[in-house]
Amino acid sequence: MNLSDPFTLCITSLVALSLLGLPIGHSMICASILYLYAAGLDMGTAAEQLLNSMFTSYTMLAVPLFILAAELMNSGSMTIRLLNFCNAIVGRFRGGLAQVNVLQSLIFAGMSGSAIADAAGMGKMMQKMMTENGKYTPSFAGALTAVSAVMAPILPPSIPLVIYSLVSNASIGFLFLAGILPGLLICISQMAIVAWSARRQNFPTEAPVPLKHIPGITIRALPALMLPVVLLVGLRGGVMTPTEAAAVAAGYALLVSAVIHRDVGFRELYASLQSAGRMTTSVGMLIAGALVFNYVVTVENIPNSISVFLLSFDLTPLTFLLIVNIVLLILGCLLEGTTILLVIVPVLIPTAQALGIDMVHFGVVVVFNVMLGLITPPYGLLLFVVTRVSGAPMRAIVRDTMPFLIGMLTALALITFIPGIVLFVPRLFGYSG
Amino acid sequence: MHLSRIGHWLYRRAENILALMLGIMFLAFIGQIVFRYFLNFPIGWTSELTVIMWLWLVLWGAAFVVRENEEIRFDLVYGAVGPTARRVMVILSSLALLGLYIFSLPAVVDYVTFMKVERTAYLKIRFDYLYSIYVIFAVAVICRYGWLLWKALRRAPKEVDPTTASSGL
Amino acid sequence: DKPKLRFSAVFSDQDIRANMMKSFAEDIADSFTFEGYYGGNLFKQGTELVALQRGNLEMSNVAPQDISNQLPEWSILTSAYLFRDANHLKAFFDSELGDEMKQMAEEKLGVRVLGPTFYGTRQVGLKPDKKINTPADMAGIKLRMPGGDAWQFLGQALGANPTPMAYAEVYTGLQTGAIDGQDNPLPNVQNMKFYEVMSQIVLTSHLVAFDLLTISSKSWNAMTPEQQQAVQAAADKAIDWSAAEHLKQEEELLAYFKEKGLEVYTPDIEAFRTHAQKLYLESDLSASWPEGLIEKINAL
Ligand code: NA
Ligand code: NA
Repeated sequence: MNLSDPFTLCITSLVALSLLGLPIGHSMICASILYLYAAGLDMGTAAEQLLNSMFTSYTMLAVPLFILAAELMNSGSMTIRLLNFCNAIVGRFRGGLAQVNVLQSLIFAGMSGSAIADAAGMGKMMQKMMTENGKYTPSFAGALTAVSAVMAPILPPSIPLVIYSLVSNASIGFLFLAGILPGLLICISQMAIVAWSARRQNFPTEAPVPLKHIPGITIRALPALMLPVVLLVGLRGGVMTPTEAAAVAAGYALLVSAVIHRDVGFRELYASLQSAGRMTTSVGMLIAGALVFNYVVTVENIPNSISVFLLSFDLTPLTFLLIVNIVLLILGCLLEGTTILLVIVPVLIPTAQALGIDMVHFGVVVVFNVMLGLITPPYGLLLFVVTRVSGAPMRAIVRDTMPFLIGMLTALALITFIPGIVLFVPRLFGYSG
Repeated sequence: MHLSRIGHWLYRRAENILALMLGIMFLAFIGQIVFRYFLNFPIGWTSELTVIMWLWLVLWGAAFVVRENEEIRFDLVYGAVGPTARRVMVILSSLALLGLYIFSLPAVVDYVTFMKVERTAYLKIRFDYLYSIYVIFAVAVICRYGWLLWKALRRAPKEVDPTTASSGL
Repeated sequence: DKPKLRFSAVFSDQDIRANMMKSFAEDIADSFTFEGYYGGNLFKQGTELVALQRGNLEMSNVAPQDISNQLPEWSILTSAYLFRDANHLKAFFDSELGDEMKQMAEEKLGVRVLGPTFYGTRQVGLKPDKKINTPADMAGIKLRMPGGDAWQFLGQALGANPTPMAYAEVYTGLQTGAIDGQDNPLPNVQNMKFYEVMSQIVLTSHLVAFDLLTISSKSWNAMTPEQQQAVQAAADKAIDWSAAEHLKQEEELLAYFKEKGLEVYTPDIEAFRTHAQKLYLESDLSASWPEGLIEKINAL
């Protein structure tokens, strides 16, 4: 390793600073400054790249707004009403509450783009309900909350798909549509696994909600249930762009909570804005750092060099996708997902393009991998969240996620090798890829 | 005592501004949709306002609001080692950051002031004003890491709680 | 070691203009190392001029709108119905009038313009099948124009309701009806597959689209007169080749779009021209235009 080469120096310092525990955003900015200096370039370029790239990344604005939308949904009673609705529908079956946990995540996934928001918001309530009177073990409840939350960013809307569109220039609209079938696939696999375990382990059923109560419960949950419809109709009907859809989701959640349910006032709105602002800052710094680092990668022509290197092995698209899956699953155990999307994925895109892989298909595969990284140890943000919420040891939770993980890996294999599953819905809406 | 109360008051105001910026971004978006679709009267400046808010919100938040435990970092090593090693790690990374941020500051200021030659497309804001937030950010980060370094030199930093990092995923 | 010429542009490496730069690079390969970065990967759209001025870039393909951002006199070159066609554009930059404008950029901005890179004539493409003949027919049409006051004004000058929207979102915008139309040169309409979601192309020819192949004065002045001559000659050759390619492509695309079932026709261009030039002259935008230049350009 030759440290006098600016790029080697840059990568070494990036790894070293990250290992030392410096926030990733700062690590990337520091490493880039070091590169600029070592290469004899203008160090002001670090500021130039960060400022101009942030200023022109209009589609990124969906990120803060989706975060805000999730905060608003969790601060009012929207989510509780949804839970009651889910319970009325599937609570009566064997393993009822476990099915409720999955169904609730499916509906939340259609409203929100954030898995962490699902696990930390509704997941908390599910944990309490499932472990009451020892119905389910805390580790199973936690595991189920974690794996079902993975649906949120795969079904539209989705924050990671927005980030992927930044690095790939693929259309967000079509990426969103492409997430629908893979998301449903996860839901079906989880419901099937729950039903199977329920029979084997004799899970409890919930007292059936009398049929005459169902209309009332449905009406109380209706505004929340309408949000996925509003978003899809709004997007397809031309009222809004995908970026604006994020604002509409937030606006709708605010409208419903403040005007119809009347449980979000100025104080709750302010708390949501503040908390969403803080989250935006930490994600934003990661994006900002990656944008600066991207300049170094571009000057050094790294993605093309990697593409030339990989293509020299005469890979078929399928072997390439298989390698991508393995690499991303391993990285997902160690790295935070946004970092993978911003730093690793851009390097793979030129190769994918050269192999003729559809960018929308590739995006969904990549995001699916990154989401699995949220539940794979040792580093999985969803695991951390449910460990804190459930109080169960992480090892027990990881053990209980295993059947679901196998189900999701099967789903991943299906969407990787049969692009038609991913591209079916976008094509229905005129996607020509 | 007095100083820490002033510091606390200032921190609360920084939080207020952060929330306000997100609020403005949100309203501008809603306005944009309403004007374009419902009133058939598209306005362009809202999209410019929203990106300005995005840029300022992130750098402002990173400079003054976000806490150490909210930032996204690779903490597999940092979280596993003992207090002495943690202390050494913080000292090393702070020194590196301080060195690089201070060393590059003149070039950064030079770039930002150079941008006085351009204005934004709609609101006609001079870019040197708009981009001054980066200088504010850089100086604040330098102060923050100077403080972290000073603390680490005196005693071991706290353990990290990985569940508090906000990744937005 | 040969001096390095880093070049950054927004167009992709598949674009005709990327081939133009390849030909340029080959012609000067004896004296310079050319490094091309495409797709706005190195410097974002609109930030190249400052990068040239600060010495972070040696060459770029700069939009005239970006030059007029720093040099208001140049805004006349961004107005609608100024140049009639690619030949008129070339004639202007070869003339003394063109020399004066280039001189101004060199003195005030520190960049040397090697020549205009024509990339097509902007035409209006619409989803609704309403027949368009005059600017009055455009009333109420939500026409996507690039962001910024100058572009939005151009939309008004066509009689439409201009609306800004990210380029990447235009296809879906047309498909869903968020916008009724867009204005782009025909090659873009093909690249981005806009024609799939349009019913007609109105050949308004409202703007002869071009950027400027530009080199920083610092790099230019460091060259010997022979090198300067060689660079200019290579640029001229590459630019002419690219312009011819674009004209050929436009011809082919007209036939292609008709074959795809689109209505393609020419409206009353005189009505559009009169309306647009009148609006420009009444607006603040023309305040910074050099006295009498528009008449001189019209007369070329
Ligand atoms: Na759940
Ligand atoms: Na979602």
